[in-house]
Amino acid sequence: MTAVTTPGAQTPSAQTPGARAPGPAAPARDAAANPYADLRIVPARHPGRWVATAGVAVLLAMVVSSLLTNDRWEWDVVAQYLTWPSILSGAWATIRLTAAASVVGFALGTVLALMRLSRSPLLVGVSWAYTWVFRSVPLLLQLLLWYNLAYLYPHLSLGVPFGPEYLWFDTLGVIDKFGAAILGLGLSQAAYSAEIVRAGILSVDQGQQEAAASLGIPRRRQVTRIVLPQAMRSIVPTAVNEVIGLLKGTSIVYVLAYGELFYIASVIYGRNGKVVPLLIVAAIWYLVLTTLITIVQYYVERHYAKGAVRTLPPTPLQRLRWSSAVTVARLTGRPVPPHVPPAFAARARVGVLTRTARTSGGPA
Amino acid sequence: MTATTTRTTAHEGAAGRVEVHGLHKSFGTLEVLRDVDLTFEPGTVTVVLGPSGSGKSTLLRAINHLEKVDAGFVTVDGDLVGYRRRHSRRGGRRGDVLQELKEREILGQRTRIGFVFQGFNLFPHLTVLENVVEAPLSAQRRPRAEVEPEARELLSRVGLADKAAARPRQLSGGQQQRVAIARALALRPRVLLFDEPTSALDPELVGEVLEVIKDVASTGTTLVVVTHEIGFAREVADNVVFMDGGVVVEQGPPAEVLSRPRHARTRAFLDKVL
Repeated sequence: MTAVTTPGAQTPSAQTPGARAPGPAAPARDAAANPYADLRIVPARHPGRWVATAGVAVLLAMVVSSLLTNDRWEWDVVAQYLTWPSILSGAWATIRLTAAASVVGFALGTVLALMRLSRSPLLVGVSWAYTWVFRSVPLLLQLLLWYNLAYLYPHLSLGVPFGPEYLWFDTLGVIDKFGAAILGLGLSQAAYSAEIVRAGILSVDQGQQEAAASLGIPRRRQVTRIVLPQAMRSIVPTAVNEVIGLLKGTSIVYVLAYGELFYIASVIYGRNGKVVPLLIVAAIWYLVLTTLITIVQYYVERHYAKGAVRTLPPTPLQRLRWSSAVTVARLTGRPVPPHVPPAFAARARVGVLTRTARTSGGPA
Repeated sequence: MTATTTRTTAHEGAAGRVEVHGLHKSFGTLEVLRDVDLTFEPGTVTVVLGPSGSGKSTLLRAINHLEKVDAGFVTVDGDLVGYRRRHSRRGGRRGDVLQELKEREILGQRTRIGFVFQGFNLFPHLTVLENVVEAPLSAQRRPRAEVEPEARELLSRVGLADKAAARPRQLSGGQQQRVAIARALALRPRVLLFDEPTSALDPELVGEVLEVIKDVASTGTTLVVVTHEIGFAREVADNVVFMDGGVVVEQGPPAEVLSRPRHARTRAFLDKVL
């Protein structure tokens, strides 16, 4: 392991070319071979950047001060309602709606995408028509339609078309507010997901499926093991976009008077008149939930990036752990723990100790 | 058909005799294969030469049915590729028919015919070892305990035993192509088809791949290699086939075709390549 305090034990990567000795020659070589060896590097100045930074800092201060000094925000009310039991249950309902509608949307969307790519004209046509209809009709209208399904069909049954029926349900018993919300959100989401999954599948190199076919890998396995995992790389970012859209889209369900976050907040401010603070409460919860989804996205993307990049960049957490380990090692004079990659240990050290090393490379 | 030397077969009784009869294939109005007849004897190495667009790749892809042909047929050890002969008892059209095989059956046939692509086509999201074991596990349904040691053995044969855990993008082109060859060999094919295996490689990486192919040639698998490496053809091939414009112009032992070509087109091509 590299000892940070002894310069002699530096790994080659630690000797950033710009630090001391620009050019290919090592610093120890005679100065005649490298006429730049003893020269100091002066970093480039960026006055425009400083002016812009100062301007934005002033604007930021103005925003913060107005948030703090304007009493009408009523931050005490916001704090009070942020963890109010009914708000928490509303947030939980929003999570459940988002999760269920995402699962329905992407499961059905994947099926629709595979149908669209199949060789049967009927499957292609049905998939196309589905996407056409569900993308065209507004979500609000769809939700109300599903909620009123019992008017069209007082009972639902499973059976042979034009033939006998086997299972029989009361529509109102199956499609309650939650059911209608899931159907509305999930089915319209499926139309969008289908296109996302299809685009992902098309983005995988044709040679991949050819190679799988030439190896005799069964058809289903070709999709699940070879094509979809590679498609995921382009599917995930757009899909997460959709899930976040769905999370916020659940607020539309308030038209069914279903107790999700936005509906609950509106009920409370309808009673106590604190409109703005309760809207802020709801906004903060949407922000928190979106942040959680974004963190999950980071790790999912990382998972599917395996094989697409030569080496994965470290996660923010890893970077934090490693740089604190390096700092501890530097302060205590002990060697850097072995789990820290040598390249990173070297980078962290150079960044801390020699300012000039920040210039990217120098005349290499 | 020129008689070719037969090597000793190291594979379990599997012969690997490939016959191609009257192959026709068009893409739109372009006729890529025009009545191609060829026989590849078991255990021989055949190098297919020809200018680009002469139908070499289409011929290879037709042999393992990646490309459906318009007319003609391919057999491997007497079995039709992609079709089955059966007796039809349907009304007025009594008699033998060629029944097109279901995709699952064609996939089964392909496990006997290995294919190595110009662009490697390794699965980038899987490790090298996973690339090699995937087909034996899922296509041949062999137990992992048997497949994995064999895969490691194959990787060491192509000189990549230490790269089993790496992913394809972490390897050089030459290493990737050697993995692709190990992947094809893992199915223990009787026939191995190479579609310009070194064309996508830097010149200094060509040698290592040709060495591996030479090693495979000595095991008795029937090899059909589309390549522009004349030196390789001279050294390793039992039979050289020259194609142009979708037809076989001439074929024979390398000493004849490469040194004393009978056709002007062959001579012109060799003059340009050499």
